[in-house]
Amino acid sequence: MSLLSQQLGSQMVNLGSALLLLTCFAIVAQRRLTACVDMFAVQSVLLAATAALVAFLTGIHHIYIAAALTVVIKAVLIPRILKQVVERLNVTRELVMNVNIPASLLICGGLVMLAFFITQPIIPLGFLLTRDSLAISLAIILIGFFTMIARKKAVTQVIGFLVMENGLFLGATSAAYGMPLIVEIGVFFDVLVGALIIGIYTHRLQDAFDSVDTTKLTTLKE
Amino acid sequence: MSTIAAQVAVFLGAPLLAAFLSLATRQARLLHGLNLATMTGLVVSEIALIQQVLAHGPLTALWGLVYIDALSAFILLIITFIGLSCSLYTWAYLDDYVARGVIAPGRLSRFFFLFHVFLFAMITATMANNLGVLWVAIEGTTLATTFLIAFFRKREGLEAGWKYLILCSVGIALALFGTVLTYYSSVRVLGDESEALNVTKLLEVAGQLDPHVLKLAFIFLLVGYGTKIGLVPMHTWLPEAYSEAPAPVTAMLAGVLETVAVYAVLRSKAIVDQALPPEFSGNLLMVFGFVSFAMAALFILIQHNYKRLFAYSSIEHMGLAMMGFGVGGSVGTFGGLFHLLNHALAKSLAFFSAGNVHRRFTTCEIGDVQGLAAAQPVTAVAMLVAGLALVGMPPFSTFTSEVLVVTALATQDFTSDTFHAGRFFSITVADEVRSLSVVAVFLLFAVALFGGFTYRLAAMVWGTPPEHVPRGEAWDVGHVPLIVTSLALVGLGVMLPDPIKALLDRAVGVLLVR
Repeated sequence: MSLLSQQLGSQMVNLGSALLLLTCFAIVAQRRLTACVDMFAVQSVLLAATAALVAFLTGIHHIYIAAALTVVIKAVLIPRILKQVVERLNVTRELVMNVNIPASLLICGGLVMLAFFITQPIIPLGFLLTRDSLAISLAIILIGFFTMIARKKAVTQVIGFLVMENGLFLGATSAAYGMPLIVEIGVFFDVLVGALIIGIYTHRLQDAFDSVDTTKLTTLKE
Repeated sequence: MSTIAAQVAVFLGAPLLAAFLSLATRQARLLHGLNLATMTGLVVSEIALIQQVLAHGPLTALWGLVYIDALSAFILLIITFIGLSCSLYTWAYLDDYVARGVIAPGRLSRFFFLFHVFLFAMITATMANNLGVLWVAIEGTTLATTFLIAFFRKREGLEAGWKYLILCSVGIALALFGTVLTYYSSVRVLGDESEALNVTKLLEVAGQLDPHVLKLAFIFLLVGYGTKIGLVPMHTWLPEAYSEAPAPVTAMLAGVLETVAVYAVLRSKAIVDQALPPEFSGNLLMVFGFVSFAMAALFILIQHNYKRLFAYSSIEHMGLAMMGFGVGGSVGTFGGLFHLLNHALAKSLAFFSAGNVHRRFTTCEIGDVQGLAAAQPVTAVAMLVAGLALVGMPPFSTFTSEVLVVTALATQDFTSDTFHAGRFFSITVADEVRSLSVVAVFLLFAVALFGGFTYRLAAMVWGTPPEHVPRGEAWDVGHVPLIVTSLALVGLGVMLPDPIKALLDRAVGVLLVR
């Protein structure tokens, strides 16, 4: 591959990763739960596109399989499950938050800087094509983590977890051109089953507590 | 080689087959029989497997997907034996609850389905050659056990199950990032994508892996799997899950699942230690272990719920084992591994008896339980044995392993300082003072723990039971594991059988840097 097209490819992958990061901020800034789910679906599509781009540029075919699985599971199946949960539970908005939106956005900006700081020493080891995506993937993981802490509704917490998973997938694709296929498939299986279980669980929580506000889960104490 | 393939097929196939067969029937007797047959089969093939590993060294099977060395064989020993005693206890426990109408008979098949899937995931984790598959299997255990924890469908159970699911999933996601980083470092050396996460390959090239990446990777792996182990400060799900889950499930979680999570950390440590000085991973384990031990000792003092008391004792013992691995050396590592086995025995015994007490007294409050010795003599003895073993009293085997860990702590040499030892005598002295002061602080917490634990136990065992509690205990199959486990705790404390000792020695060899 010529140097020019390699640079162009690298820029495209970086663009994809940056857009992924942007959708994270959109999720953090969003109050409506269905919009959060939609943003997550968009993020998954972007992730699949970035992965497919890496597959195309490197000629490693099994990344295509992972990209296709991402579209089917994370962009179609899981958002559908989550929307059913939102509809059935009749909760549409995250009204009270542990951290309000402007402060959340500021913290997320700080997390991005932290991610770049942590990965600084190991970035030069990476493949030229996807070098900067590792830092972005850690940033996405941290933002997902933060979303789980800062939001109260069970559904938003699940989205935070799924955002973490997306960050991990980007990390695996960017750092090492994808994990071995058996691991990749296993991870997708776990995520899908996890989403199903969480879907069932929120129903049970709703029945038992009349709410999916996780701050009401306070029966168990020291 | 075909015998190995057959054994592996039994290990992986039997629980999976049993899981789906359980869904096909609703007969309680059939379900229990199936469970018992599966566990017996696993124990038999485990004994054969240990012989193979001792005779021929590490084994690989299924096109390199399965890798069994002395360490995994030792963990499998814990899984299968505790699993067998659990299935015996489950028989009595579930029959009782079905008879009382707490559990609908139709839900038994789902219990056994989840139980066997849980077992399958743990065995896969222990046998996997690929660190990625190990991760997938450990996440699988989280998914399989959430509904087991919330099996009674009470509010508290649901709450505990939800916290467990969310916290462990997040923790385990961090471990996946650690796995990705390990892969990132190894794929640059190996280039071969499909095998770059295999333990066998990683050990070959571990010396060439980039130390910076491995450092970061190990921190993520330790925090991630540490959440499953229940190390402080990632432990908050643990007391709740342990106090709400059905007793046989808790016994499996506390005795076996924690051990499997420790195994994941040890596997990572064995690889990381080849590329980095062992002090790096050792010190991290030491810090997490000591903080867990000390915090749990303090929390034990304020517990008024006996299941939570045992849960905090789990955190404490895992901290102790971690300190053993952290100090390293042959003594510390041997002590840590042996302690895993002893803790699994003592903790399953503790939760079996706690389950019996809960069924009789219908409360988990220590203040409301009195006169256990009069109401349930067998359970009372079992609880005393478990309690004394958990505080590390002789003649129980936990005493032996704790002494080993403390010895390792007291005689640890700080490698960086012994370098100077020849020239600066004063530093050597300071070293000894330092390691002895660590031991002194450790023993201080151990004494606090001893006091808190025995005080609470004595209050439950002696005295006269409340009026509404019936006296006497009818013999049932659930008493078999109580007696056998108690005997095993004493037996291992007096004498360590040769095969187990040989296995432990080999496993120590796996963990020490060659």
